[in-house]
Amino acid sequence: MKKIEAIIKPFKLDEVKNALTKIGVQGMTVAEVKGFGRQKGHTEVYRGAEYKIDFLPKVKMELITSEEMVTQVVETIERAAKTGKIGDGKIFISPVEEVIRIRTGERGKDAI
Amino acid sequence: MTKDGSISFKNSPTQALVPASSPRDFFRQNSESMDGLIRKTFQKAQSQIPSPSVCLIAVGGYGRAELAPHSDIDLLLLYSASKKEDLPPLVEKILYPLWDLGLDVSCSSRSINECLKMAQSDLHIKTSMIDGRYLDGEYEFFRNLYRLFTKNVLHRKVRKLAESLANDLRLRYHKYEDPAYALEPNIKEGEGGLRDFQAGRWIIRAKYKTDRWDSILFPDHSRLLEKSVEFLWTVRNQLHVLSGRRQDDLTFEFQEKIAPILGFRPGPEGVEEMMRQCHLSTQRISNFAQDILDRVLRDPSPLKKTLSFLQRRKIDEHFAVANGEIHLLDPVAFKRDPTQLMSLFAHCQAEQAKMDFRVEEAVMEALPFVDDLFRNSKEVNQTFFSILEKGKGVATLLKKMHELGLLIRYIPEFSEIAGRIHYDLYHVHPVDVHSLLAVEELEKLKNGSYENEAPLLTSLVREVEQPEILFFATLLHDIGKSTNGDHSFAGAEMVKRIGARMGLSPEGCERAGFLVSQHLLMVKTALRRDLHDEQVILRFANEIRNVNQLKMLYLLTFADIKAVGGEAWTSWKNILLMELFLKTSRFFVKNAVPEPFGMDKMKRLQQSLPPEIISEYEDQLPDRYLSCYSLEQITRHIEMARSLGKESLFVEWEVEKESQAKVTVCTRDRYGLFSRITGSMFLNRLNILEAQIHTWGNGVALDTFWVEDSTKEIERRLLQLRKDLQEILNGKSSIKDFLLKRKESNGIKQKVIPRVAGEVKINNQDSDFFTIVEVTGENRLGVLYEMTEALTDFGCDIHFARISTLGNRIVDVFYVQDEWGEKIQEKNKIDQLKKTVSQRLAGTCPASPAF
Repeated sequence: MKKIEAIIKPFKLDEVKNALTKIGVQGMTVAEVKGFGRQKGHTEVYRGAEYKIDFLPKVKMELITSEEMVTQVVETIERAAKTGKIGDGKIFISPVEEVIRIRTGERGKDAI
Repeated sequence: MTKDGSISFKNSPTQALVPASSPRDFFRQNSESMDGLIRKTFQKAQSQIPSPSVCLIAVGGYGRAELAPHSDIDLLLLYSASKKEDLPPLVEKILYPLWDLGLDVSCSSRSINECLKMAQSDLHIKTSMIDGRYLDGEYEFFRNLYRLFTKNVLHRKVRKLAESLANDLRLRYHKYEDPAYALEPNIKEGEGGLRDFQAGRWIIRAKYKTDRWDSILFPDHSRLLEKSVEFLWTVRNQLHVLSGRRQDDLTFEFQEKIAPILGFRPGPEGVEEMMRQCHLSTQRISNFAQDILDRVLRDPSPLKKTLSFLQRRKIDEHFAVANGEIHLLDPVAFKRDPTQLMSLFAHCQAEQAKMDFRVEEAVMEALPFVDDLFRNSKEVNQTFFSILEKGKGVATLLKKMHELGLLIRYIPEFSEIAGRIHYDLYHVHPVDVHSLLAVEELEKLKNGSYENEAPLLTSLVREVEQPEILFFATLLHDIGKSTNGDHSFAGAEMVKRIGARMGLSPEGCERAGFLVSQHLLMVKTALRRDLHDEQVILRFANEIRNVNQLKMLYLLTFADIKAVGGEAWTSWKNILLMELFLKTSRFFVKNAVPEPFGMDKMKRLQQSLPPEIISEYEDQLPDRYLSCYSLEQITRHIEMARSLGKESLFVEWEVEKESQAKVTVCTRDRYGLFSRITGSMFLNRLNILEAQIHTWGNGVALDTFWVEDSTKEIERRLLQLRKDLQEILNGKSSIKDFLLKRKESNGIKQKVIPRVAGEVKINNQDSDFFTIVEVTGENRLGVLYEMTEALTDFGCDIHFARISTLGNRIVDVFYVQDEWGEKIQEKNKIDQLKKTVSQRLAGTCPASPAF
């Protein structure tokens, strides 16, 4: 099992979510996050006053998937989240040792 | 009584509880059978134990004989001081059999003195004793206790009791203020729950020495309150029966189960309707409790009363102010002149004073006089809008207006959203509460409460024009929720009607209507659209129309989200909203919006083209493109674009005046395309007079050129151009190859030396999305090719260009981005770009390394 974390542009969330649902992904966790990478923050000026935006708003989605689905899930996110511009985001993949569904106690793949 | 028999007693309500039965009947039956059971147990215990003389008293809810199916049962065993040691076995003999039956019974045993002492120091003991009821045993004990309790405890220190109850109320509200409780209210302990009603009753008992709580209220008011309490009782009884335990949280699960039992429509509508009643009930009860407590807490001592009478200052013939309270001088003022109702609120605002409770009662009594005449009164409406305009304390005043029932008489449409809830997880508060909260958030913003968190919004709310329109629209932004369908648009129509009735100017009505109809647009755009796409900002600006409306909408959006509940407004959302606001406001301030907008043209296009084509292209065509071409041209362009799969390139022209032609080129956009086209033209000795280049959202490049050929061989040259361009784009040859050949053959290298020095300006201010490169200089054949090549070599992607020739002067404007789709902002890059373009313009630099 793998954990896939993707940091994407906020307005891409619906598109990515729909694309993932289409390939059969059933659940994910989504959080509003802020950060910066190559796309740095900036200062906005309005009527002489400065408003600093040092962390840019992004959406982080997290999902757990079986080994055989990983490639498809990652490709789907990549395709749907891409605008080709700076700040499109990143995808992280990491191994997961065990998944347990609390209500039933199921483990492994069944619990995803 | 047998064990079996009693168990069936406990279960009996499940079957016995018919939906229509009044909760009072149920309470009576339930308490009577409980009394019987407890008396029997008590008598049996007494007969088994050599018993001291004691008295059994029911206290708390059981004392009031308001016993819900799973309420706990509180008993008090009163003894005379000397026989203390015999008590524990007796208590055991009473409690154990009852516990065995599964009843939740607790019993405290105290002497009269202990009772009185504890009641003085402990709020809960005191209040539970207020409701004491004799059950069995020595009646004399009971009589003595209550004689002393009433005289020495209950009617003493009433103010302190009110303070403790108010404090308890605050703590409970705080505990249940989590938005989750607004969706799934605790109907006993939560805000406006049954506990609040008890608190009000206790205070009335203590202060006014009467059991009849309704005797001190205005009759209509007490009738409504009675209904509210009965409704909550009914719901609570059902809740206990269905859950099989003492459950007071009205969770979604039970909302769905209880609504049909109480006769509400099946499905979500029924649940919403039931919850609406529930909210209306709790609001009334909460108002009752707070008003009664407030009344006692504000009641001055006799000395102060005299002083305040002396300090009383007359406002006008109807009102006076003393001690921060408005008093009514003339008891029938409202009846004689109902418009004084609105003046009262203006006085409250001006004096920053509260109303004396007698004034509040007079307002409620005068409600029937609020009729069409009142609603259409110029004086009333002007007063109302001036309250909104001043903005100070406006939320508190509107809340009070609503609490007293004046708001829904004055704006009857508001009653349709009172208590209305949406059966989902996002909308936490009923619509009327949410609307008033939104007004409060605006006011807090104006006060500076969010100065650190939201400095921009704070400065905007202070500078916005016509603040009364903003407050008016905020109060009514969800008014359309009483209708089916799109609540924004229905609401906008209602607001315009209401505004017109209230004498708002036609522009004011339009503006309020606009804010209501678009109150979700900004948050939708900010969260779901690419704010780095110029088209998104343009369309948004086009909807918003001017900067004041933009400010108002940003403020309304803030107030609306903030009023949804604690967690809804995040700095994350604010960054996106702020970005949208700043980008859009710069459009307005700099007037950088290309006029006219393309929206009208799109609408006309929708009529002439089949819907499947429209749906494919409507989001792809930039406004700037739409505004440059006629309907016929656009239609032809779409035709070309749709055939781009089969053909890779279209070059079409119309010859005008035998030496000039308009050339349209349509192909897939690619890096350096513009430069290749202008190069091909240069190659064919076509002088470019004007050019428009556009890139559609779907990657189609649509460029138009006005070209000139002095040799009058334009048709031939254009045919050759099409061939050359085809080859260049297919990669079969490159401009450089062609130019090299040409150079060898006839050498056009003798460049015209410009007589006027060229100028290159790099502008990063006028667009949030593009760096604008403006070039002026002397016209010569191929100059455009050189410019575009310089830009392309520098790594610039040309999105839009406007090329024009004035005499022998060129004025070229290029909208460019770097390879990442960002503006070019680093100082040294800008300088370098400027230098490169200037050199090429002056012809002092070799055109390219290949030359």
